[in-house]
Amino acid sequence: MQVQENLKVKEKIYIEKLENGLTIMIIPKKGIQKKFVVWGTNYGSNDSEFIAPGEKSKTEVPKGVAHFLEHKMFEQENGTNSLDTLTALGVNANAYTTNDHTAYLYECTDNFYEALDELMDYVQHPYFTDENVEKEKGIIGQEIKMYDDYPEWKVYLNTLEAMYYNHPIKLDITGTVETISHINKDILYKCYNTFYNPSNMAMVVCGDFEPDEILLEIRKRLIEKESQGEIKRIYPEEPEKIVKEKVEQNMEVSQPIYTIGIKDVKPKEETKVKKHIAIEILLNIIFGKSSKLYKELYDNGIIYGGASLDYEFSRGYAHILITGQSKEPEKVYEKFKEEIKLLKKNGISEEDFERNKKMIYGEYIKEYNDVSDIARMFISDYFKGINSFDYLEEIQSINTGYLNDLLIDVFKEEKMVISIVKN
Amino acid sequence: MEYKKINIKKGINLHYINTDKFKTNLIAVFLTTTIKREDVTKNALISAVLRRGSKNMKTQEEISKALENMYGASFDCGIDRTGKNQVLKFYIESINDNFLPNNKENLLKQSLERIFEIVFNPLIEENGFNKAYVNQEKDNIKNIIKSRIDNKARYAMDRCIETMYGKDGYGIFKYGYIEDLEKIDNINLYEQYQKLLNECKIDIFVSGKINEETLKIIKENENIKKLNERESKYTPTNLEKREIPKQEKNQTDSMQVSQGKLTIGLDIDIKNEDEKFDVLIYNTILGGSANSKMFQNVREKEHLAYVASSSYLRHMNNIFINCGIEIENFEKTVDIVRKQIEDMKNEEFSEEDIQNAKKVIISGIKSIDDEQDSGITYKFGQELSNMEISLEDYINRINKITKEDIIKIAKSVYINTIYFLKD
Repeated sequence: MQVQENLKVKEKIYIEKLENGLTIMIIPKKGIQKKFVVWGTNYGSNDSEFIAPGEKSKTEVPKGVAHFLEHKMFEQENGTNSLDTLTALGVNANAYTTNDHTAYLYECTDNFYEALDELMDYVQHPYFTDENVEKEKGIIGQEIKMYDDYPEWKVYLNTLEAMYYNHPIKLDITGTVETISHINKDILYKCYNTFYNPSNMAMVVCGDFEPDEILLEIRKRLIEKESQGEIKRIYPEEPEKIVKEKVEQNMEVSQPIYTIGIKDVKPKEETKVKKHIAIEILLNIIFGKSSKLYKELYDNGIIYGGASLDYEFSRGYAHILITGQSKEPEKVYEKFKEEIKLLKKNGISEEDFERNKKMIYGEYIKEYNDVSDIARMFISDYFKGINSFDYLEEIQSINTGYLNDLLIDVFKEEKMVISIVKN
Repeated sequence: MEYKKINIKKGINLHYINTDKFKTNLIAVFLTTTIKREDVTKNALISAVLRRGSKNMKTQEEISKALENMYGASFDCGIDRTGKNQVLKFYIESINDNFLPNNKENLLKQSLERIFEIVFNPLIEENGFNKAYVNQEKDNIKNIIKSRIDNKARYAMDRCIETMYGKDGYGIFKYGYIEDLEKIDNINLYEQYQKLLNECKIDIFVSGKINEETLKIIKENENIKKLNERESKYTPTNLEKREIPKQEKNQTDSMQVSQGKLTIGLDIDIKNEDEKFDVLIYNTILGGSANSKMFQNVREKEHLAYVASSSYLRHMNNIFINCGIEIENFEKTVDIVRKQIEDMKNEEFSEEDIQNAKKVIISGIKSIDDEQDSGITYKFGQELSNMEISLEDYINRINKITKEDIIKIAKSVYINTIYFLKD
């Protein structure tokens, strides 16, 4: 096993890549009762067009299959449901689907290995029937409707729609009631067999474990499967420009909710971590709680709380999202653009930079408080081709010169959109 | 881990949790007072005004910059209703010095000083708070009160509680009421602050790497020294005698929603505080886990919902059932819920159900100390109910519960209110 230690946060990670291609990451935490395991596949809602290993022609499946598959994995041939079995062991089990990966997990204090039996059994043994697929359409239909009532979710999706022409990031992870109506068991098996090969998967374990011992226990539970060839993922060509600058939707909300989006170019392998940190620092300098812009908007009653500031990226896309509530979102947008113009002209101050760099460093350290947060961070970074420790190291390489360059390269007015949900 | 409670002055307690499990130190200051219709809005506003500036850190900008310089120490405040109390909560979380690039900061000391300064040493101008801050925060609170409608599921829950209790005690909305705001100014708000500060119960929690020096810093802090002894005016959250209403209440509200939100409030006619442990198991079987009757019947069998669960609010001694459903399925769902409650009364649950529920609850208890804030919340809950029980005794108490105990609970459960939020 390869061992890496980070001296800043004082944690170690043990990494092993097995013969069948599965990557296992173990982060031991002495003296903690909670144990957490997450097993994920490099397959999310964005992957609906692909060429399976060994095949020549393209497969295209309805939107929402990755998420549907996640729901159906729990069903077992003997009529039991793995979620019930895990819950009966007293473990807290769950699963989730994102744009770029799907993951199965549980958290527990006791019965870790009994639960590992079940987790590794159900993820390796799909059982889909016409009947159990039909049944799930009703449940997922209600999940979709639940999201329809979340204004934060609608404002987010509308932002993506304003930014992207073709990239599937703009589509709802769950699909729609219409797209999921076309899903059947053959489609599910096809996607399972393509994407749930160990060579496309990774597992992260965090808790009070001996690395060698837990590795052995995982190996024992793996069924024999050969590492397969490459999956060719097909993403449509995406223009660099935005679709439209503004999108509005009506919902019953107390105050308008807005998201300002900035479309960025696809991330580059060598610089993505550094760029991610730098953009987080920049966003805080521009619109964090100590910023001039925040103070001005707050004092004038235009905003009444902080906005969330995010940089999201994965295969084939990257964008900035700024989300908040305001009685005058257009005013926020206008002032935000003005502030950026001013910063481009004056440059980033060393003092603001140093202060925000310290803050970001602290934020990264805080990520290591809880076993489930740690494991979730490592797996989602892994599927982006990142080792989470890199954030703590790369932060030192950033300076104001780099921030000023990014300000010009990324914060371009013609790449900005605003999405508003209001009454 | 080591827990100690030190009485600083009458009505003021310091609780410290000495632990090296975390990368951070977490400090909390809780001001607890019996919730009253006439004071509720003012108290909510006080918490908002305090975070705007103190005597020595006069602006929000100054506070934010200080926190950023402390490696992103995060300050947070909020309002809770716990039982019949309104609790003003203030938190500061900062990195343990061991994980800083240089080890010379003493961030714990700085954090203690900052939080005491913000809570106990406000910015005073001519016998009142800063006028501009009060006016801005009045708008702010107004927006927060209005934003109740934004999260539809939580709104349904709030309205169900209001229907059960009216606008009294448990039914009082923790952020207060818009009609009260008009009469509040910077002078009478400051009077209320002084009154609150002299009467409320004060609990200070420090969780992290603590030593003798930490205790000294707290005891010798000027802002702590100037606090008076007090007869705390709060309401312990122990079980109270309550009439069980003879008739079920029904309440339906209309709002623009795509999914109906059903909340059903249940009364539990128990006589002893100790029986609350039995209710925990009852609730887990009814709707508290994936194996529960609600999840299995409403979701898995009938496919009516994605969310189908129940939760037990111990301080109020009520169970709330929550489902997101098609509006036309209202009656069907209510019938199924009634059947589950009846089945529980008719002893239609197994020894295995009980064992499974115990595992779920015990796992939760064992992980309390693995999360810094849940450790504090747990201790505070005990403090308010004057009941000290170690995690070990808690687990033993759960293990002793028998089927007879749960049947007794099942037979004392009554539907109080059926609330439905629909289009």
